[in-house]
Amino acid sequence: MSRRTRAGAVLVSTATLVAAPSLAADDPAVLKDLTAVIALQGQPCGQVVTATKQGDNDYVVACKDGSRYRVFVNAEGRVVVQKQ
Amino acid sequence: MTLGNSTGAFVIGVLVLLTHAGDQTPPTPRPTDDVLGKGTVGVPVATKETEPPSAEPMPGHESPKPAVSAPPAKSPDSRKSGMPLGGAVAGALAQKEGRHVPADRPPKPAAPAESAPPADSAPHTENAPATKTVPRTATAPPTEAPAPAASPTPTATLDLGSLEKRLRETTAIGVFTKLSLKNQVDDLLDEFREFHKTHDQAMLTRLRQAYDLLLLKVLSLLQDGDPGLARDIASSREALWSILTDPDKFKEL
Repeated sequence: MSRRTRAGAVLVSTATLVAAPSLAADDPAVLKDLTAVIALQGQPCGQVVTATKQGDNDYVVACKDGSRYRVFVNAEGRVVVQKQ
Repeated sequence: MTLGNSTGAFVIGVLVLLTHAGDQTPPTPRPTDDVLGKGTVGVPVATKETEPPSAEPMPGHESPKPAVSAPPAKSPDSRKSGMPLGGAVAGALAQKEGRHVPADRPPKPAAPAESAPPADSAPHTENAPATKTVPRTATAPPTEAPAPAASPTPTATLDLGSLEKRLRETTAIGVFTKLSLKNQVDDLLDEFREFHKTHDQAMLTRLRQAYDLLLLKVLSLLQDGDPGLARDIASSREALWSILTDPDKFKEL
């Protein structure tokens, strides 16, 4: 396998890894879900406009009012909304 | 005057009386037929009942009383006056025509009285029942309607298993939100456990507020995406609360 081929494979896999979370973050259902979670936790947000997936059940979100939160499920199975 | 003359005179007199009797009977029945014929005759009662409807109503109410006293007088009169002949003729005619029979006796108040009582009483009973049945039926429905309506509605069906399953499967709430709700439900249940240990009534008031708030959150999340489930949960609010506040029922959860 040539160097060009390896480089191409790396680029494709990297793009795939990066693209997946961004696609998930653009899903309106996910944005709505994250908005509801933040509201349930009693944190000010209004509406989540963007969300970046950091891992399984782990998002960094930007709210319409400019605030940013990390929303994730901790080791105990609890949903945590952490202001950043 | 010889015996033959006297006998002849007697025979002629008898014949004259018979002819007079025959002449008198016919005229009376006819005029009476139109007016009283319907209510009078006792024998042709069956025929009378068919006609009475229109004519009886008005006079019928007052006539019944006199009719009762009249009957005894009637039969003797007919027998004394030699009516048997006329009565027999009238009876024959009545049997043939049916309605003419009543006419013969109408002239005499007694005749109508006997037959009238049954006929009059019949109409009265008919009128009375009709009026009575109407009000009874009218009153009955309203009384019956409220009772069934009141009993079935109040009890709200509560199936915790079904509600839990529907909450898990509904797409109206996202995964994160469901998990967050579950965390809050677990927190509330922990507080109820503590309440049942301490039996602090002040705590119960706070628990009720927390319970209402949590239910409000669930309903607000479901009302647009799954209104049916939201409705069922809302209708189960008090039933769920009774389970949570009852120590025995709470242990079974």
